[in-house]
Amino acid sequence: MHKNISTLLNTSKNKISKWLSYFGLGIGMLLLLSSMQMFININNLLKENNPRKNGFDFISITKVITNENMGKDNTFKDDELAEIKNQPTVEDAAPLISNQYRVKASAGNIIPFSTDLFLESIDNNFIDTVPPTFKWEPGQATVPIIFSSDFLELYNVFAPSQDLPQLSNKTISSVNIILEIYGANGVQNFKGNIVALTDRINSVLVPKTFMEWSNQNFGGISKVNPSRIYIKTKDANNPQLISYLDQKNYHLNKDKTKFGRIKKVLQNIVSALGVFGILVIVLALMLFSFYLQLMIARSKENLQLLLTLGYSPNWLSKTVAKTWIPVYVFVVIAAVAITALLHYAFVKISFVERNDLPYFLHWSVLAVGLLLLALSVFTNYRLVKKELYKIV
Amino acid sequence: MQINLQEVVPTYFERDQTNGSEVWGKSIVLNKGEHVHIVAPSGSGKTSLIHFIYGLRKDYDGKISYQNENIKNFSLEKFSTFRQKNLSIVFQDLRLFTDQTARENIELKRQLNPYHPAQKIDEMAKRLGIANKLNRLAKTCSYGEQQRIAIIRSLMQPFDFLLLDEPFSNLDENNRNKAFELIDEECKQRNASMIFADLKVLDFFTNEKRLRL
Repeated sequence: MHKNISTLLNTSKNKISKWLSYFGLGIGMLLLLSSMQMFININNLLKENNPRKNGFDFISITKVITNENMGKDNTFKDDELAEIKNQPTVEDAAPLISNQYRVKASAGNIIPFSTDLFLESIDNNFIDTVPPTFKWEPGQATVPIIFSSDFLELYNVFAPSQDLPQLSNKTISSVNIILEIYGANGVQNFKGNIVALTDRINSVLVPKTFMEWSNQNFGGISKVNPSRIYIKTKDANNPQLISYLDQKNYHLNKDKTKFGRIKKVLQNIVSALGVFGILVIVLALMLFSFYLQLMIARSKENLQLLLTLGYSPNWLSKTVAKTWIPVYVFVVIAAVAITALLHYAFVKISFVERNDLPYFLHWSVLAVGLLLLALSVFTNYRLVKKELYKIV
Repeated sequence: MQINLQEVVPTYFERDQTNGSEVWGKSIVLNKGEHVHIVAPSGSGKTSLIHFIYGLRKDYDGKISYQNENIKNFSLEKFSTFRQKNLSIVFQDLRLFTDQTARENIELKRQLNPYHPAQKIDEMAKRLGIANKLNRLAKTCSYGEQQRIAIIRSLMQPFDFLLLDEPFSNLDENNRNKAFELIDEECKQRNASMIFADLKVLDFFTNEKRLRL
């Protein structure tokens, strides 16, 4: 069965709706495919580069201080902490407990420097650098300290102007720090010893045991609600996490999540474009189906006679549907080609020095193009078959 | 292949209309190789019977079966296989694609399940005297010529039964003989049956089953 039966199909009428549907299909596909590619591009470009421990991000959150809640208790309660821990995007959360007493640090005679200080403590598994010496028991005169490397950097910036020596990461551990703690019962001195530096937490960390003991002894408080909470998450830029924190009015380190916010907005725009593309495709396919129905109605007598002569309805449906495969292939290829061009131009002008963006389209974009092609041909086949059975 | 008619009566017939009929309401077995000549005046349901047997209409009571399968249950797809392999037909109203040439009309049938090579079309057309009409549009041919185109078309495929509904109505005696000769030859080649419906008794047959409607 080879002979072209297309001469028996009345395809001459309603050319406008036919061409309009091709055009719509092309535009819809272009919208869908390019928004998909842009979605992937945004994802790749705005990958955040925070230090990760075992693939996790650690971010600290506080409550937003506003004119309304200023002066009120802005600490986290136990149930709030529990709720944060229960978020699907949160792997774990731990409070940063701060000192409830005055503490002053000086570096002894070698470095004539003294400052008021704050101390904090957190669960050890939230600290990236925990040496075995980071332990304290009541009675111990030396308190191990984990120091923020940002603070060290800050110190090294102003040290020369104060005639203080600059300190390297290594030498800082040999500096003897004297911690003067002021409590209700007078002052007590401890020897502070920096045992490690951390990139993750901007604080002066002491062991939890020391914090609990000193708050009880000097501050007279056994239970302290934290004002900062550290969150361990797979992705600090996860939109779900960000919208949860926004909704709760929790403030977080903007630096680490600004990409997430930009990404969220851009991806929303691009997704909307993609949805619009799908809509246009559906409309185009509908328009084409009207054209097909009309064409079949006009060719009714010829198709009826072919069926009477023994032409198989399945074969006829396939053959009629196949007539438009070349056009559909052309439309899809054109949409993919333009998407590829747009993508190429985007990579060229988006100042990407990193090799994050390949010049070629992502495989899933091509897959969706093929899928749409198959879908269009299949829906046409089904429609023709349905219409053929209607005319007998 | 075998075709069975069991008590077939058109639903639109009055009760007494079937009186004396040798087909309506009777049980008839049509075997491959046996010719059947149905003779009846116009209005007695010849075309209806041919259409019932070919499966174009279902407005009858009783049962028609191919190979003991009731054709009322056939899908269009199943009919198409029988129409490609076992049944061929010359309609009374011919049913040609009027905007196609004679050759295209014949070729549309031949390519479906070729029994003959394409050259056979020219050979047959020559025998029936329409060789010079093959490349003309069907609608520009006379009714007699169109009748011969329809006959050639029906002979392009394999079949066990050839349904002929007044196929010679517009042919003169000479052309009628030539056409019958060709049809008879083709049936013999396939060991097939003619189911021949006509207004009057035709004297071509020698050993046919003759039925009155």
